[in-house]
Amino acid sequence: MTDVTIMGMLAGNLPSIIGIIIGGLCIAVGVHFVPVGGAPAAMAQATGIGTGTVQLAAGSGLTGLLAAGYMYMVMSAGGAEVGMSQIALICATGAVGAMIMISVTMLVGNWVYIYGVGVPPASAKRDYDPITKDPQAPYVAAGTVGQGLPTVCFVSGAIGGLLGGLGGSLIYCMLMWVNADPAISSIFAIGIFVVNAVLPSYNIQGTIEGFHDPKFKRVPKAIVACFVASLLCGIIAVIIPSAAMLAGGA
Amino acid sequence: MEPAMGMGLVALMGAAATVAGCSEDLESDIGSQSNPNSQVQLAAQVGYPHRIFNKAISGEPPSNAMYCAVGAGVAMMLMSESVMSASPLLAIAIGAFVAALLNGVFSTTAYLGRNASQTRFNQYVYLDVLRNQILSLMGHAYIATFCIVGLSYVLWEQTLIGHPFPFPVIALIWGLCVGAIGSSTGDVHYGAEREFQDFKFGSGLNAADSGNITRFAEAGVRSSMDNAWFCSKFGGPATGVAFGMVVFLDNWRSTAFAEVLNGWGAVLVGLVIVLALVIYNRQIETYARKKYGPYPEYAGDIEA
Repeated sequence: MTDVTIMGMLAGNLPSIIGIIIGGLCIAVGVHFVPVGGAPAAMAQATGIGTGTVQLAAGSGLTGLLAAGYMYMVMSAGGAEVGMSQIALICATGAVGAMIMISVTMLVGNWVYIYGVGVPPASAKRDYDPITKDPQAPYVAAGTVGQGLPTVCFVSGAIGGLLGGLGGSLIYCMLMWVNADPAISSIFAIGIFVVNAVLPSYNIQGTIEGFHDPKFKRVPKAIVACFVASLLCGIIAVIIPSAAMLAGGA
Repeated sequence: MEPAMGMGLVALMGAAATVAGCSEDLESDIGSQSNPNSQVQLAAQVGYPHRIFNKAISGEPPSNAMYCAVGAGVAMMLMSESVMSASPLLAIAIGAFVAALLNGVFSTTAYLGRNASQTRFNQYVYLDVLRNQILSLMGHAYIATFCIVGLSYVLWEQTLIGHPFPFPVIALIWGLCVGAIGSSTGDVHYGAEREFQDFKFGSGLNAADSGNITRFAEAGVRSSMDNAWFCSKFGGPATGVAFGMVVFLDNWRSTAFAEVLNGWGAVLVGLVIVLALVIYNRQIETYARKKYGPYPEYAGDIEA
C-alpha cells in the first residue's frame, strides 16, 4: 500500500524531478566554467580565482538562491499560482544574483593581483586570449602557470555564475512545488547544489581556467555523473515530504 | 515598505557587509587559514621553521558558514518568546560571542595539532604565539559574525525585508559567501605578497620557491600580528569592499527595480552591472599589461 502511494507520489511529481535534474546539470556544467586556481592561485602561481571549486560555486550559486527565494515569495504572495513564466523570472533573478557575486569577486581579485601583488593577469593554457586576442605567454611569470583573471576567464566565470545560479534557483522552485515550505526547500536546495558542485570537481582536479581550458572537454562525464546523482536527490526530495505526510496522516 | 526605508536597509546591510568582509579576511590572515596555509604548513617541512599561527580548520567558506549559522541559531533562540524574548541587538551580540568561542576552540586545537605533528621538522608549539594571537582571532571572528548575523536579521525580520528562508540558513549562506570572497580576494594579498616579501615585487612566485616564506620582520621574528598589520592596508579592505558590493548591488537591484517590467527590470539592471564589471576588468587588465610589460625571463617566440 505504502509502495503504491510512494510510486504515485513520484509519478505525480515527475515534472519536479525532471526540473531538479535539469537544475543539477546546469550546476555541473556551470562549475566547469568557473575559473578556479585553488591554492596555487592564492600564491599567484596559477590563473584563476584563488579558492576551491565547490566553495566558489556554492558561494555564488547560493547568493543567487537568496535572491530567487525572495522573488518566489513575492511571486506567490497572496496564494498566487507560480507557473512557468514566474519560474523563468525567479531563475533569471537567481542567475543574475550569482553572476554579480562572482563578477565582483573576480574583479576585486584582479585588483589584488594587479595592485597588491604586481602581476599582470595572464593565462598559461592559451598563447592568445580567445576573446581579446592578446598574447598571454610573455606575461606569465617564470615557474608559474599564469596568474590573475584575463578577460576570457572573467567572461567564463560570469557564465559559470549564471548557470550555477540558474540551476540552484530551478531546484528551489521545483522543491517548492513539492513541499511549499521555504525552510525545507532552501536546505534541500543547498544540499543538492553541493552534490552537483562536488562531483564535477573530480573532473577539474583543483584548477581550471574556464571554457578554453583542455579540461573543459571532460564535461560529458560530469553530466552523466550528475544526472544519476540529481535523479537520486530528486526522488529523495519528493519522497521525504510524502513520507512525512503518510506518517502524520495529513 | 517605503522605497526610502528599503534603500536605507540595503545601505545598512552593505555597510555591515563591508566591515564583516574586512574583519573576516584579517581573521584568516592572522590564523593563516585557507589557501595561504599550504605555504605555512610546507615551510617547516622544507626547512624553514617559523612563528606564524597555523590553523587550517577547513576552507574559509564552510568555517564562516558554521560561525554565522551558530550565531544566528543562538540569537534566534534567545529572541524567541518561549525563551527570553531578548532584544535583537543583545541576542545577536550573544550569538556572535558564542561563535567566537567556537572559533577559539577550533583555532587552539588546530594550532596545537598541526604544530605538534611537525616536531620532527623542528617546528614547535609556541605557547606565547597561541596566547597572543588567539584573542585577536576570536575578536575578528566576533566582528565578522556580528555583522553578518546582523545583516541576515535585517533580511529575515518580517517587519523589515521579510525573506522566507530561516534566519540561520540566511546567515549560513552569507557566511559561505563572505568566506568564498575572502579566500579569493584578500587571501591572495597575504599568500602571494606578504608571505613572499623577500622576493622582488611583481616577480611572480616560482613554484620552486614554495614554502620559502618570509620569516623575519622589519624588526625581529615575524609574527601573525605583523601579517594582519600589513594585510589591513589593502587585502582586508578590498575583501570588505567586495562583500559590501555583492550585498549592496544584489539587494539594491532587487529592491529598487522589483516593480519595473514585472520584475524583469531587476534582471536587466543586474546584467548591466555584470557587463560594466567585465568592461572595467578589461580596462585594468590592459593597464597592468602596459604598466608592467612582459617578463624579461620570457624566451618564447610570441611577441608581447
